[in-house]
Amino acid sequence: MRTSLILVGVWSIVVIGSNSSKAVDDADQARLFDTKVAPILARRCLDCHSGTDPKGKLDLSDRKQAMEGGENGEVIVPGKPEESLLWEQVNSGEMPPKSPLNQEEKTVLREWIAAGAYWGTARIDPYQFTTARRAGRDWWSLQPVVRPKIPTTSRPDWIRSPIDAFVLQNLDANGLTPAPEAERRTLIRRLSFDITGLPPSPEDVDTFLADTSSNAHERVVDRLLSSPQFGVRWARWWLDVARFGESNGFEFDEFRPDAWRYRDWVVKAMNHDMPYNEFVALQIAGDLLKPDDPTAIEATGFLVAGAYDTVGQTQQSGPMKAVVRGDELEDYIGTVTQTFLGLTANCARCHDHKFDPIRQVEYYQLASALGGVRPGVRDLSSLDTESKVLRGKAESLQARLDAIEAPARAQILASRKVNLDPPPKPFAAWDFDRGLEDTVGTLNVTLSDGTTRTSEGLHFDGKAGFARTSVLKRDLGARTIEALVKLDNLDQRGGGVLTLQAGEGLSFDGIVFAEQEPGRWLPGSDNFRRTQSVGAPPETEAKDRAIPITISYSADGSIHMYRNGQPYGKPYKASGLVTYPAEKTEILFGLRHPPTGGNRVLAGTIVRARLYDRALDPSEVAAAVGATSDYVAPAAMIAMLTPDSTTERARLLGEIESLGKQIVAHARTAYAVAPLKPGATQVAIRGNAQQLGEVVSAGGVAALTGIDANFGLDPAAPEGERRKRLSAWVTHRDNPLFARVVVNRIWQAHMGTGLVETASDFGFNAGKPSHPELLDWLAAELVSSGWSLKAIHKAIVMSASYRQSSRHDSTAFTRDAGNRLLWRKSPTRLEAEMVRDAMLWTSGGLDRRLGGPSYQDHGATKALGTAAMLYVPVDPSTPGLDRRTLYRAAARGGRDTFLDAFDCPDPSTITPRRAVTTTPLQALAMMNNNLVLHLSDLLSDRLAKDAGQEPSRQVDRVYRLAYGREPTDEERARAVSVVKEFGAATLARAIFNSSEFLYVD
Amino acid sequence: MIDRREFFSWTRNTLAGAAAASMMLRDGTLQADILGESNPGCPHFAPRAKRVIHICLCGAMSHIDTFDYKPGLIKAHGQALQSSDKPDVFFGQVGRLRQPDWAFRQRGESGLWVSDLFPHLAEVADELTVIRSMVAETSNHTPATFQENSGFRLNGFPTLGAWMSYGLGNESDDLPAFVVIPDVRELPAGGSINWTNGFLPARHQGVVIRPKGEAINDLFPARPISPGAEAAARDLVGEMNRRHLARHADDDVLSARIRGYELAARMQTSVPLVADLEGETRETKKLYGVDRAETADFARACLIGRRLLERGVRFVQLISGGTFGSPRRNWDGHENLKENHGLEALRIDQPVAALLRDLRRRGMLEDTLVMFTTEFGRTPFTQAAGDVVGTGRDHNPYGFSVWLAGAGLKSGIAYGSTDEIGWKAAENLVTWPDFHATVLHLLGIDHQRLTFYHNGIQRRLTNVHGHVLKPILS
Repeated sequence: MRTSLILVGVWSIVVIGSNSSKAVDDADQARLFDTKVAPILARRCLDCHSGTDPKGKLDLSDRKQAMEGGENGEVIVPGKPEESLLWEQVNSGEMPPKSPLNQEEKTVLREWIAAGAYWGTARIDPYQFTTARRAGRDWWSLQPVVRPKIPTTSRPDWIRSPIDAFVLQNLDANGLTPAPEAERRTLIRRLSFDITGLPPSPEDVDTFLADTSSNAHERVVDRLLSSPQFGVRWARWWLDVARFGESNGFEFDEFRPDAWRYRDWVVKAMNHDMPYNEFVALQIAGDLLKPDDPTAIEATGFLVAGAYDTVGQTQQSGPMKAVVRGDELEDYIGTVTQTFLGLTANCARCHDHKFDPIRQVEYYQLASALGGVRPGVRDLSSLDTESKVLRGKAESLQARLDAIEAPARAQILASRKVNLDPPPKPFAAWDFDRGLEDTVGTLNVTLSDGTTRTSEGLHFDGKAGFARTSVLKRDLGARTIEALVKLDNLDQRGGGVLTLQAGEGLSFDGIVFAEQEPGRWLPGSDNFRRTQSVGAPPETEAKDRAIPITISYSADGSIHMYRNGQPYGKPYKASGLVTYPAEKTEILFGLRHPPTGGNRVLAGTIVRARLYDRALDPSEVAAAVGATSDYVAPAAMIAMLTPDSTTERARLLGEIESLGKQIVAHARTAYAVAPLKPGATQVAIRGNAQQLGEVVSAGGVAALTGIDANFGLDPAAPEGERRKRLSAWVTHRDNPLFARVVVNRIWQAHMGTGLVETASDFGFNAGKPSHPELLDWLAAELVSSGWSLKAIHKAIVMSASYRQSSRHDSTAFTRDAGNRLLWRKSPTRLEAEMVRDAMLWTSGGLDRRLGGPSYQDHGATKALGTAAMLYVPVDPSTPGLDRRTLYRAAARGGRDTFLDAFDCPDPSTITPRRAVTTTPLQALAMMNNNLVLHLSDLLSDRLAKDAGQEPSRQVDRVYRLAYGREPTDEERARAVSVVKEFGAATLARAIFNSSEFLYVD
Repeated sequence: MIDRREFFSWTRNTLAGAAAASMMLRDGTLQADILGESNPGCPHFAPRAKRVIHICLCGAMSHIDTFDYKPGLIKAHGQALQSSDKPDVFFGQVGRLRQPDWAFRQRGESGLWVSDLFPHLAEVADELTVIRSMVAETSNHTPATFQENSGFRLNGFPTLGAWMSYGLGNESDDLPAFVVIPDVRELPAGGSINWTNGFLPARHQGVVIRPKGEAINDLFPARPISPGAEAAARDLVGEMNRRHLARHADDDVLSARIRGYELAARMQTSVPLVADLEGETRETKKLYGVDRAETADFARACLIGRRLLERGVRFVQLISGGTFGSPRRNWDGHENLKENHGLEALRIDQPVAALLRDLRRRGMLEDTLVMFTTEFGRTPFTQAAGDVVGTGRDHNPYGFSVWLAGAGLKSGIAYGSTDEIGWKAAENLVTWPDFHATVLHLLGIDHQRLTFYHNGIQRRLTNVHGHVLKPILS
């Protein structure tokens, strides 16, 4: 307010001056407008009167617009406030609605108009200031982190860490006092669950109680922080904000068998205390920053951990597909900005952000930066160290085998060259470089639009083009199909080359390029019923020259694939052979199955094609494509070898086979980013992908002070550059949000509530932190510790604030029920995963091993006649379901009702903070679910083993295991009577259901 | 203004604490959630409906064969589509126009048009409020179904039942607020995603009740336990928890847990009673079609649905249809619509009509809302080559029909219309947010005020859209 008073004074002088002598020059006028008038307009008017759809069509953020006025005409008449609608509305208190300007503000506007309404900088930045409705660039979280001074407080004796000084300062200010330190049994249980997600063992409790050294607490903390179980607990914390699921969701909800690689990467990163800036950079751009490191590529599983609409992404309609892709990008943008920066940039897809200074165009800059992101299964075997060793071994064995076989093979092949096997006789044959006729039979071809015949062959445009034959005149079961094909590009996904189909695609089998696996040839079939990966290497040559591809289908269902007349990958046995019926079957070229369009169409040229009415053997396949087969039948080979060589050959083959199995077992595939090559991004006006506006370059959000949101890239810059710059911008040490957001998440996990309550939103809706300086102190600590998350964990759990008892204090409770001032340690209920893990641990049945594929507690069944998956729960006592809950296969359509009862979140939604509810369904789950009953039995067995048959010893043991304490005499007597009458399992069931087991003080 | 916001944020916490202190409310939950979300202030005004039963048809029912009478289509049978727009249909094929496979007649006193596909529903046509001008955002089943139920095309948004549970709570202590009865043949595509709580607390998720076998998960011990051992375990848990509570200054959450076990025990009595149809008269069972093989499954679902409503459950969802695939077991009649819809309609026609009659005669239709919806409609042209009148119809998000019945509605009317052939909505277009806003309005809820803060925004069922359909309200 003081500023305004000074201003009025200044302006009065200006006004007087300008009226008399024109003493004030333009620069002064501009400066005065910018410093005195523009702030009022920005703070009080521009919420409504600016942007794409200003109220009353009046835009006051821009000189030209403001002077032209709105739907009620001119609003500013320079020099004549009384004739200016703006002044009239402001003066009468009509505007701004409900919160009229104060007298100083009114005076400034009046005098400004009276003095000629001189305008300074043409466009006022509406984000300059925070208003009553939304945050501006001056919003607290967007300002640089400044390491605060440690305050002095009333009780220096209580302070163990600077954290406590900030906490106590706030308590002092509110006339509250901290709770006394919790007793050691409570502390170790608290520390153990907070750090590892598991209870302490009775031995751990004893050790701690007996430790009289001054650093006893620290020793427990250090031990727990270095436990591998730390990574399991804190990976779960991270996966909640990564919306990590292991199936696609939507209609098909296909399982992602390789998604666990990302989860394992997070566990390892946590355990190794990977610097947080590196941890984040790799999740955004690991594949680009460390292209030779398979773990870095696995880290990008973060970006694609959300749902994926397979049906929507491959549907016919281009416009609808664009909407689906738009939704996919919004998910990436929302996840990256919320998780790392506490910014909800996803809210700016259709318009400027309503609450935070994020412009719509900036959303599209982020969309450009992430425009190449697309999920895929990445084969990382060639980068994997162990895999490389195995492959090396296999290669050297193979070389020795070749050395033995070479002379014999040469001899056999030489004789073949002389008598080149005659090509087998086809059932139908097309030489498209010459014409469209079937040169053997009667299956002539008709072409659709988008197909052209040239001297090279039949070319398909990849959009609509395909060719079809007339119908088959006889049934066709066992068969071989062959095509000599050249591709327009190797990036295409799913085009059909040659397909047999009946019923408009209801059943089909054919040669398909790269539908499920990028770059690879596959035997396609309806809903993948007879399709498996043959595990062959990706195609590299078919763009430069035509390659013959052959598939044979045998009567027993086995499918062999060949490239260049040589076996391509491994043959396999499909569910059965489809016999294609006479009069209903036709051959398609260039289309996987009808109708045309989508990813089903081929971009490429078929030179010639053959159909055989039997499954050819390998040498026939070779002969058919004019190659000599390298294939030599075993019997023929052995006939040429000495007995010694035959023995050695058999030994080598055995070793190669077993190595082969190991190589398969070591195959390293990960569900991660498989980038696209995006073009330039355009703003979608009102979020409508059919209405495109300006072209933008990759960039960040300008409102973050201290870092440059301009990535300096061309709109068409390669996607790798865009994503790398994004990761650098996000993780920049001067990014004001980056460190604040993560230390707040850690604080929330330990203390129950974040310093900022909305952990993924540091914008206007977050309000102000409960302890702003503490937040900045933690953020500064994170940076100065070299981005060590463990350092922050340790700082928090070492503090006196954390060590407080959870005792209730009714005075404090009346003042601050939510305990945001931290007058005690808030008691917490175990999270869903901890409930299950603690029961497993207590019963002695927990498999603590880390890593590897997820355990499946649901039978994933394929629904009949579709690619859709349904997940049906299996009995939780089934063997093999005893690992920590982090390792549960998180299928989106296969949630677990037991875990749900304890508020386990939907994996499709980003969950910055879990709800904690208490319901009868929870009681039912705890009393009746077979998990609890089964583990009660296990615990009963364990008690007998640990403590013998004496009930009182069993009772003592179970109290120590479950609660970390001895029972009182009364408790013991009561429990013993239950054990005597009903057995220890009944006691175990009650223990699991007890509040003391499920809550941590 | 920062100070003011801070003030609000503190108040909210204190209020949450106070709510927790007074807890236990008849809302199926025992405690205010820590997120301070337990009091959205609903209802905002006097409700017309207190509960909802939703019949959700998966796979997309054809409007032009059921509730949208199009003489223009009958006239144009066998002709090519006359349109300047090239239809952008899901499977890309635009065959010749096909007239409905069932005759349409005007029914009841209202003269509402209903086809012969639903002979039983036709008899209660005077109860129906048909909306014939629905439009969907996508022609892809599952996102469209998500939108039908949650307002959004994506995974992870709370469904209508979850919003109702959150907004209105429950009238029953011993039954969940939101119950789902899936088709006995199979779950719909996406399984539990379809009744998710999304970002609302997990207790608002739909609870699946199976019409056969154990009604809900974990209602009884997974394996036999002697009554003595069962009672001993319960008593011991109760004692332990009371002792623990005493050590914790009577903490509300902990006492809520104890109450939870008491309510759970009551559910063990009440839930099986709901699913047990023995108490229903033979006449009632016959009315629903429990006695006929073709209708028995859905008849049981409808009857259990009515029993749930009677006992105070807020939102019951009955699903007609499984996932997609071959052979068909939902309404997705691409190949042969007549055969497909004939079979599906037979399963539900009599039971749904009986539900309406039964609710009416029990006086429940006065304050119960019945919803009969599908994710989109089907094309008036067939899914076939351009010169062929095929037998199947493709997806049609541009115009389709749903109906409502019961509380607060003008009945026996049809609102909105499609074009001459039933391809696109032409008059009074209704979007899902409009539909949801209207449903909430009938429940006494202003759709703009039923919100939940999630990641930067006060989320609504209706997103930033939705207009109440005043003309259909009584």
